[in-house]
Amino acid sequence: MLETRNLDKSFGAIHVTRDVSLKLERGERRVILGPNGAGKTTLFNQLVGELRPDTGSIHLAGEDVTALPVATRARRGLSRSYQKNTLFDGLTVAENLALAASVATGNAMNMWTDSLAKPEIRDIVDDVANQVSLIPYIHAKVSEVSYGVRRQLEVGVALATRPLVLLMDEPTSGVGPEMAKGFHDLLNNLPRDLTLLIIEHDMDLAFDVADTITVLNYGEVVFDGLPEQARGSQLLKEIYLGSWEDA
Amino acid sequence: MFRHTPLRYATLAVLAAGMFAAAMTAEYFGLEILTEIAILAILVLALDMVAGFGGMVSLCHGALMGVGAYAYAVLAAKAGLAPPVAMAAAIAISGACSWVIGAICARSHGIYFIMATLAFGQMAYSYAFDSAALGGDDGVSGIPRLDLSAIGIDLNDGQSFALFCLLALAAAYGAAVIILRSGLGRSLTGIMHNEQRMRAVGLVTWRVKADVFGLSGMIAGLAGVLAAQHIMFVSPGLLAWTVSGEALVVVILGGLGTLVGPLVGAVLFVLLKHEISNVTPYWHLVVGVILVAVVMSRANGVFGWIEARVARWQAPRVISSRKEQVKNA
Ligand SMILES: Nc1ncnc2c1ncn2[C@@H]1O[C@H](COP(=O)(O)OP(=O)(O)OP(=O)(O)O)[C@@H](O)[C@H]1O
Ligand SMILES: [Mg+2]
Repeated sequence: MLETRNLDKSFGAIHVTRDVSLKLERGERRVILGPNGAGKTTLFNQLVGELRPDTGSIHLAGEDVTALPVATRARRGLSRSYQKNTLFDGLTVAENLALAASVATGNAMNMWTDSLAKPEIRDIVDDVANQVSLIPYIHAKVSEVSYGVRRQLEVGVALATRPLVLLMDEPTSGVGPEMAKGFHDLLNNLPRDLTLLIIEHDMDLAFDVADTITVLNYGEVVFDGLPEQARGSQLLKEIYLGSWEDA
Repeated sequence: MFRHTPLRYATLAVLAAGMFAAAMTAEYFGLEILTEIAILAILVLALDMVAGFGGMVSLCHGALMGVGAYAYAVLAAKAGLAPPVAMAAAIAISGACSWVIGAICARSHGIYFIMATLAFGQMAYSYAFDSAALGGDDGVSGIPRLDLSAIGIDLNDGQSFALFCLLALAAAYGAAVIILRSGLGRSLTGIMHNEQRMRAVGLVTWRVKADVFGLSGMIAGLAGVLAAQHIMFVSPGLLAWTVSGEALVVVILGGLGTLVGPLVGAVLFVLLKHEISNVTPYWHLVVGVILVAVVMSRANGVFGWIEARVARWQAPRVISSRKEQVKNA
């Protein structure tokens, strides 16, 4: 469904992506682990097209999308949420979701009809608001709701595009354990055919939702396998788990 | 995002009733002022669409109005096209120019966007000034008004023409509302709030900006066509950047991003201009002082200020009615 081949990217002297080749099957749920600065977000930015890789290619549903702009990839079913909230702050929760849904339903360029009143868009808004537990805040402005709620909306906007592949960049970053559990439930309730790539710091959550795990270190894939293997991997303990267990 | 509130409806009703009453009772000079208000109001509607709902602060809307005026003048007075055809063509031409400007400027933001639009405006101005075909400095005269004699209306009569302009204003307002409430208009507001995210959800943002800018240019073009018919003469002064600047002042004075506010601003601006210039030649100075006061007050213009007051007045009531609900529960 989503594949990278020998992706490479440097910022000047910093080599942030080193020969990364990944392959996600349809419906696969893969978690990316890696210490701070490992190049996880930079990899996402290349996958969605916000950054151009120096070399290598990206394939979505079997087609090379390396040269395609962000919006085109999104319309082909690639959606992302951001590590740092990237929302429409002055608008309501419902309007945030509706903006994404109106693109997905082909209403974003329509000059005549009120997109907020369209049943197909309302359905998506209600549906997604339900999925990410936003119903109580649906008419509140983003600037009026708590950080945790914004985190949920961050994923909600990405879901409202009705994606085939969803990339989530640390969806639980900065939220309490209770809300992190809520995300866990959310992930388990997502349709099974949705392909997921999740950057996650919470190890329990990661091992729990992942079909497969990729570990990045200094921009390089140092592990690619099943969660059970990851748990037992010595290399992984050294570069990643070790530092966590010590902490 | 744009929505009508009871206050906005009420304000529209008062404006419509007031202007209609003025059109029915005013003498020659009053009708001139009313026509001036209607034309300015159409122009500032067009500007608020892009500036207030898309963050595209344009300094070429005066020039776009001028393009509409010149296109109508040339097509109707020189090429001898029937006025309705010339009107439609002029609106289409200013819309097309506007779309191209919007498409080119869509990638720039903030001050760079303002400067880019200013440059386009100045290009149009200097072209009109130097072009022999457009009459250069002298402009174009002998511009006919629309002929509605078939339905018994003579637009050469001041009152009929004022009513005609008010009707055009109502149509322009209706069009602006439809556009702002459409998927396209809402996408534009999404871009204003977060262009990166709109792209990430799959929107080709420059197209949205260009399309709304083009539609806005058509409305500005309508203002130009009416201005040309009103004074039956066009000159390069119509395209001067100060016209755009003045329109921006009116939008800010009235209330950026409220659509109704700029209408209020247009009425206040023209009335103030005439009242104050009766007393002193320094009316620009007075308008300047008022503008500084409005901007410093941090209210969103006169109408924005009223909206904020009404919202504050309503807020305690909402809380107390919630308390009652809790009590009743
Ligand atoms: N636009 C940029 N220009 C220069 N360097 C950058 C840029 N973006 C990221 N970097 C650098 O690339 C490296 C990888 O950053 P990235 O944000 O991808 O890490 P990450 O794995 O997402 O880390 P975290 O867990 O903290 O989110 C960091 O050293 C960062 O400073
Ligand atoms: Mg990151």
